[in-house]
Amino acid sequence: MLLLQIDIAFLIEKVILATVILLGSLGIAMYATWGERKVAAIMQDRIGPNRAGPLGLLQPLADGAKLFFKEEIIPDSSTRFLFILGPSLAMLTATMTSAVIPWGPDYVTESGRVISLQVADINIGILFIFGVVSLGVYGIMLGGWASNNKFSLLSSIRAAAQAVSYELALGISLVALLMMTGSLSLREIVAQQHGFWADGYFTWNFFKQPLGFLIFLICTFAELNRAPFDMAECESELNMGYHQEYSSMKLGFYLFAEYINMFISSVVIATLFFGGYNFPFMDEVLAGTGQMVFAIICVLVLLTKAIGFILFFMFIRWTLPRFRYDQLMKLGWRSLIPLALFNMLVTGLVILYALN
Amino acid sequence: MKAIIAATLLGVIMMFTGLFVKDKRQVVMIAVIAFLALLGITIWEVQDASSAAPAMLFNNMLRIDSYALWFNMMMAGCTFLYVLLMGKDIMRVGNHVAEYFTLILFILCGIFLLTGYNNLLMLFIGIEIMSIPQYILAGADRRNLKSNEASLKYFLMGAFTTGLLLMGITLLYGATGSFYITDFTFLRTDALNPMALAGILFILISFVFKVSAVPMHMWTPDVYDGSPTAFTAFMSTIVKAGAFVGFLRLFHIAFGSLSEHWMLIVALITAATLLVGNLTAVFQQSVKRMLAYSSIAQAGFMLFAIASVNASAWQGMIIYAVAYSVATIGLFSVLIKMKDYTYDGFNGLAKKQPALAFFTTIFLLSLAGIPLTGGFMAKYFVLNAAVQQGGLLWLVIFALLMAAISVYYYFRVIIAMYFKQGEAEMAVEINSGDKILLGITCALVILLGVAPHLFLGSI
Amino acid sequence: MNAYELIFWLLTVMAISCALGVILSRNPVSSVLFLIATFFAVSGHYILMNAQFLAIVNIIVYAGAIMVLFLFVIMLMNLNADTEPQKNRLVQLAGVVSGGILFLVILAALKSSTNNMLEQTATDIGLIKNLGKTLFTQFVLPFEIASVLFLSAMIGAVVLGKKGEDAGA
Repeated sequence: MLLLQIDIAFLIEKVILATVILLGSLGIAMYATWGERKVAAIMQDRIGPNRAGPLGLLQPLADGAKLFFKEEIIPDSSTRFLFILGPSLAMLTATMTSAVIPWGPDYVTESGRVISLQVADINIGILFIFGVVSLGVYGIMLGGWASNNKFSLLSSIRAAAQAVSYELALGISLVALLMMTGSLSLREIVAQQHGFWADGYFTWNFFKQPLGFLIFLICTFAELNRAPFDMAECESELNMGYHQEYSSMKLGFYLFAEYINMFISSVVIATLFFGGYNFPFMDEVLAGTGQMVFAIICVLVLLTKAIGFILFFMFIRWTLPRFRYDQLMKLGWRSLIPLALFNMLVTGLVILYALN
Repeated sequence: MKAIIAATLLGVIMMFTGLFVKDKRQVVMIAVIAFLALLGITIWEVQDASSAAPAMLFNNMLRIDSYALWFNMMMAGCTFLYVLLMGKDIMRVGNHVAEYFTLILFILCGIFLLTGYNNLLMLFIGIEIMSIPQYILAGADRRNLKSNEASLKYFLMGAFTTGLLLMGITLLYGATGSFYITDFTFLRTDALNPMALAGILFILISFVFKVSAVPMHMWTPDVYDGSPTAFTAFMSTIVKAGAFVGFLRLFHIAFGSLSEHWMLIVALITAATLLVGNLTAVFQQSVKRMLAYSSIAQAGFMLFAIASVNASAWQGMIIYAVAYSVATIGLFSVLIKMKDYTYDGFNGLAKKQPALAFFTTIFLLSLAGIPLTGGFMAKYFVLNAAVQQGGLLWLVIFALLMAAISVYYYFRVIIAMYFKQGEAEMAVEINSGDKILLGITCALVILLGVAPHLFLGSI
Repeated sequence: MNAYELIFWLLTVMAISCALGVILSRNPVSSVLFLIATFFAVSGHYILMNAQFLAIVNIIVYAGAIMVLFLFVIMLMNLNADTEPQKNRLVQLAGVVSGGILFLVILAALKSSTNNMLEQTATDIGLIKNLGKTLFTQFVLPFEIASVLFLSAMIGAVVLGKKGEDAGA
């Protein structure tokens, strides 16, 4: 009943969109690995990859090929099914989030058909992202446990504790944002941030929730297991962390999932706090160009914002030393959660005051 | 409602007391004031209830009638007495004294919900608010492995039976489409829904666990024995009374018209509880463990109030709850001061501490149900309710027989105190304040036996 | 059979078989994984009932947080099938008999009460707006008073778990 009413054109449209988004995020993640090396090299006054192609631009392809052709080793003492499930889950959760992100404005064809640049506009978009993120830790946990290796287990347990702790602050900082937007749908939230300036104030949520943004950003670092919170793979304590026993493309999946996560998180931050695909003077641009060009500009704007955040993630990684584990926990529980609660309280008060 | 709010707020205040007040004695003093305030508020609420009509609050979530208010007051009074008698002992359990009192206040909040709920959701939340702090209190003595075991055992079993309760509520909801206990009108029709009956059965099992009746009693001795004695006194008395009043409300108000379906089950449970509780208590060597089994046996008597669907049962429940709680709290407050919890530990107490031995005797007599004590009146009320109900005469006679058996193990303590030679050693000094308090408790026990109607108010 | 029913039955089979997997698997870790799969199936049911909020919260809270902690504990304790205590045959038999009787009772109860089944209709009650309104009007008391429950659980964590001078055991 429900499924049969869906028309074929709609289905094709969504499948194409999903494929494009998937391939796009894979491509961006690939070049993020290259970018990471280049950034690291620049910050350390080195040259970085420069052999494969101009500026080493083919390096990611070479890496991928290498991982594919490496020998596949599954340790005898591992739990085979879970050992394979781990990286698959990591990859799955990394790519799932992109489904609810609005990549651009609606495109209306001449026949009046609305093509939305969003795979699924569900009315709980943010919660969907949050749910998928909270599942992301299973990939690491299962992989680490199934490896049957002390260091992997320790690392996966660290990762789990870290993820659960920081999810709280992440969620509470989001609550404050949601109190302002009044909607859980990402499409709504982006639409509210239309343009840049309206009614005498900035429209982007960053200017309404600066503290919430800060908390969200820090928690995102922790959720991504990125430096300075990369407890799950801190090589000085845990050899290589949870993927120590992995080889070949399964290792590749883990590494790759991290970069996809980073890309998607950047998009989410841009969407929630920096207006998504909105940019200043967008109405004038729309009036000046056609709908098609406008949509492409919007998508590019979103991608630019996202790449900006990816670069920020990288700068942080190569600037700050790693936290100690107890410091990490203290920061999460004693600073970020109270701060997020305070932020929520203030937001509530302001809304109450503004309503009266 | 005031009582519920007050219990919660006072609990939060107690919690912060732990942050700012480091001296344990001062914490106990503040706790005494808090419980006195709570008692004052419940009394005020009783006085304030202008009409006999029950107050329906929050979309009929709560239905607070004069019985509920009176019961709240009695429970707040018993808890106040408990804190007065045991405050110093609670102080010795561990470091988190303020938190213990907080938890006790929260338990009271749960009990107040159980006396006034009108919705199965509130029943569930009330039972949980009452149970969770108990699991914590049971494990409060962290150095003691037995305390840890008690906590874990209680938690696992309690969580499981809470699951049963939820399952029962689900089935009832499926059958009636309502959570309101006054709403189950379909139950009065002839076409009885088997789903509802299954739901009632599940809820019954869960309550049987919460009041530690046979066959769900196995946890009781281990938990009561392993928990710190100061908290056993609270768990086996006031909390049990709270669970019973929840039981009573649900089965009399919601399922009262169906009594022919469940009365036999309850009667059999009562008989089994009396039998197992009393017979096992006989063979115990430790007074604390004996009291655990005796609390099972006493639960058997309280079950009479459930089995008899009439107004006397409600009166009997109040009298029994108060009489049993006061006497047991008194007894525990003596027991906790002893060095040796076995019967032999009481040898020769009468010579060393004549006043203490005398008070203990009164408490034991009350528990055994000797006339002129509260226990006698309590047993009289509940058995009378059963007689009025009719058809339960066999059970009444059986209960009398079992009461006779209970005399044996209660008197063993008296015999040890008065007729055996020995050096009963105290773990802590008894000062005159303790004696005065115990004297007041004793007076209450006697007063209950002589003038029970004072404790019934207008009920 | 329309698509709706097809999805319903698929989810139901998944939920029940995964729930069976929880109790039948020897390895506690796979039990937990089966439980997570069960939660997903149940969330699917919520979505079928148009209760997306409940569905996603079920996943966030249970699958995403509580089960992680379960897994955490199980992994740390390194439970194996060997450590499981051997049960007495008689006890096992008693368990089977009483469980079977319980099953029969419930089966009988549910079999003869089809008349009260709620019809599946399009409803908006599960949407977050309506849910919030209901929670803060009709069910405000249980909603608020549950905070006492959580507060006591938090106090419990501190009382039982905090390091102190008496943590000698």
